[in-house]
Amino acid sequence: MTTQDIAIEFKNVSKRYKLYRSDRQRFLGIFSKRVAYKEVYANSHITLRIRRGESVAVIGKNGAGKSTMLKMITGVVFPTTGQLTVNGRVSALLELTAGFDPEFTGRENVHMRGQIWGLDKEEISALEREVVDFADIGDYMDQPMRTYSSGMKARVGFAISASINPEILVVDEALSVGDKAFREKCDAKIREIMEKENVTVVFVTHSRAAAEAICSRGLVLEHGRLAFDGPIVEALDYYEGPRDTSIQMGDVVATDLADAAISDV
Amino acid sequence: MAEARPDRADVLASRVRRYGGTLVGVVAEHEEYWRQIFQLAAADLVKTYRGSALGWLWAVIKPSVTIFVYWFAFAVGLRASSTVSGFPFSLWLIAGILPWFYVSEMLTQGTTTLKRYSYLVTKIKFPVSTISTFVSLSKLYVHIALAAIVMVIFIVFGYPIDVYYLQLPLYMFLMFAFFTVWSMFAAPLSAISKDFANVVSSFVMAVFWMSGIMWDINSIKIPWLSRLLLFNPVTFIATGYRNVFIYKRWFFEDRFALLAFLVTLAGMTALSLYTYHRLRRDIADVL
Repeated sequence: MTTQDIAIEFKNVSKRYKLYRSDRQRFLGIFSKRVAYKEVYANSHITLRIRRGESVAVIGKNGAGKSTMLKMITGVVFPTTGQLTVNGRVSALLELTAGFDPEFTGRENVHMRGQIWGLDKEEISALEREVVDFADIGDYMDQPMRTYSSGMKARVGFAISASINPEILVVDEALSVGDKAFREKCDAKIREIMEKENVTVVFVTHSRAAAEAICSRGLVLEHGRLAFDGPIVEALDYYEGPRDTSIQMGDVVATDLADAAISDV
Repeated sequence: MAEARPDRADVLASRVRRYGGTLVGVVAEHEEYWRQIFQLAAADLVKTYRGSALGWLWAVIKPSVTIFVYWFAFAVGLRASSTVSGFPFSLWLIAGILPWFYVSEMLTQGTTTLKRYSYLVTKIKFPVSTISTFVSLSKLYVHIALAAIVMVIFIVFGYPIDVYYLQLPLYMFLMFAFFTVWSMFAAPLSAISKDFANVVSSFVMAVFWMSGIMWDINSIKIPWLSRLLLFNPVTFIATGYRNVFIYKRWFFEDRFALLAFLVTLAGMTALSLYTYHRLRRDIADVL
C-alpha cells in the first residue's frame, strides 16, 4: 500500500485532556507545572489506517472518544502524543452548529464558508444553488441561523459539507436529528459522492441501518481505546453484544423480573 | 558553573528557534489566508452593525456622544483653557481621542475574539492566528471612516490639510500592528480564563486616563516620568495623532518616543508568540 492510497493514518495517537478544579487553576496551569490536574484520555494509543475511498463508521457509547477522533481528523484538535497523517481536503460536519455564525443567514453562512475555503465567486454561487436545493428549508435560507431548529441546522450543515467536493467527509452525529426522509436523502448523497469521486467517509452513528447501508468497516471505541476494527456487521455485533437470546436475558432489566414475579403470585 | 553557561546559551538558542518558528508559521498562515482575512473583516463589520435600526450610524453616534461628554465636563464644567497650541480645546480633544475608539474596542473585543469566533476554532480547520487580524482590520475600517470625519471637521473649522497629514497612515499602521499583536496575546489567555478578560475590561478606564488622551504628555515636568510614560503605546499613538492634527511635529522629531514604542511593540510580539505557541493546541479543548 503506497502512501497515495492512505487517506488517514493514526500511529499510536493519544489525546489527553487536562481537567483542572476551576478555571482559575487552569489559568495558573499555563504558567506553572505545579498546579494539580486530572488527566483524562479521550483517545489512547489508537493505531489504524483508512484507505482512500473507504467508508468507516465509528461506533461507541457517549464519551468513548468518537468526537475527539473526528475532531483530530478534521484538524481542529491536536493529538497529545503519537502521529496523525491526513492526506486530502477534509470537510467536516462536527456537531450541530457545524461552524456557523448564528447572526448570519443560512445563505450568508454558505458564502462565508465558501470564502473560508478559498472558492471564487462562481464556485460559491454554484455551492449556494446546491445547498439551497439540498437543504430545502424554503424562506428560512434568508433568516439568521440562530432562529433555526436543530433539524434545519443539520440540513444546511450537511448540504454544505457534502457539496464542497471533499476528499474526506467527516460527519458527526448531526444527522440523527433529521427526519427519516432527510436521513435517507443524506445516505443517498453520501453513497453518491463515495461512488463518484472516491471520497473517504468517516462518520459517527448509532443507527445500525445507516451504518450497514453506507459503511464497509466499523471501528468500535471503548473508553478511548480502539476495541474493535473490522467489517461493519461484525463491529455492530461486537458493539451491541451477541444476539444469542439466552445471553441477552442477562441484560433484561429489573422491572421485567419484577413483572414476572408479580404475575407468578 | 562554567559548564552551565553553554547550556543556557543552548536553551536560549532553542527558544529563539522555537518562537521564530511560531512567527514563521503565523506569517505563513496570513500569507495563505490573506483573501479570507479581508472577507471575514468585512463580514465582521456587517455583523457589528446588523440588526439595529440606525445601523452604521452607531459607528459615529457612540464616539460623538463620548466626545461631547468629555468636552462638556472639561470645557464647560472644569473650565479647561479654551485653546491648546492655538487650537480650540474641542479640536485638541477630538484629535487625541480619535485613536482611543479603536484602542478601546481592541482592548475589550480584541480580548474576546476567540470566544466570539469559537466556531472557527472548534468546528472548522482555520488558522487561529488570523482571527485577531481580521477582527482588528474590521475595527480599523471604522477607525479610518472616523478619521475621515475628523479631517472634515478640521477643514470646516478652518484648518486645512497639510503635509503633516502624510504621517497619519504610519500612526494608523503602528496602532493596528500593536493591537493586532495584543489581541493575539490576549485572546488565547481569555479563552482559557474568564479572569483575564475581566482584568482587561476593568483596566480599560485606567488606560484611558493614564495615557495622556485627556491631558498633554508634554505638560509633565518630571523628565523620568514623562519618559517612562512614553513606553505606553496608547500615549505614543494619542500623541502621534496630535502631532498630525495639532502640534504639527514629525514622528522622527521625538526619537525617544518612537524608540520606546518600538521596544514595547517588540516586547508585545515576543509575549504573544510565547502565549500563542504555548496555547495554540489547547484553545480548541477549552472553548
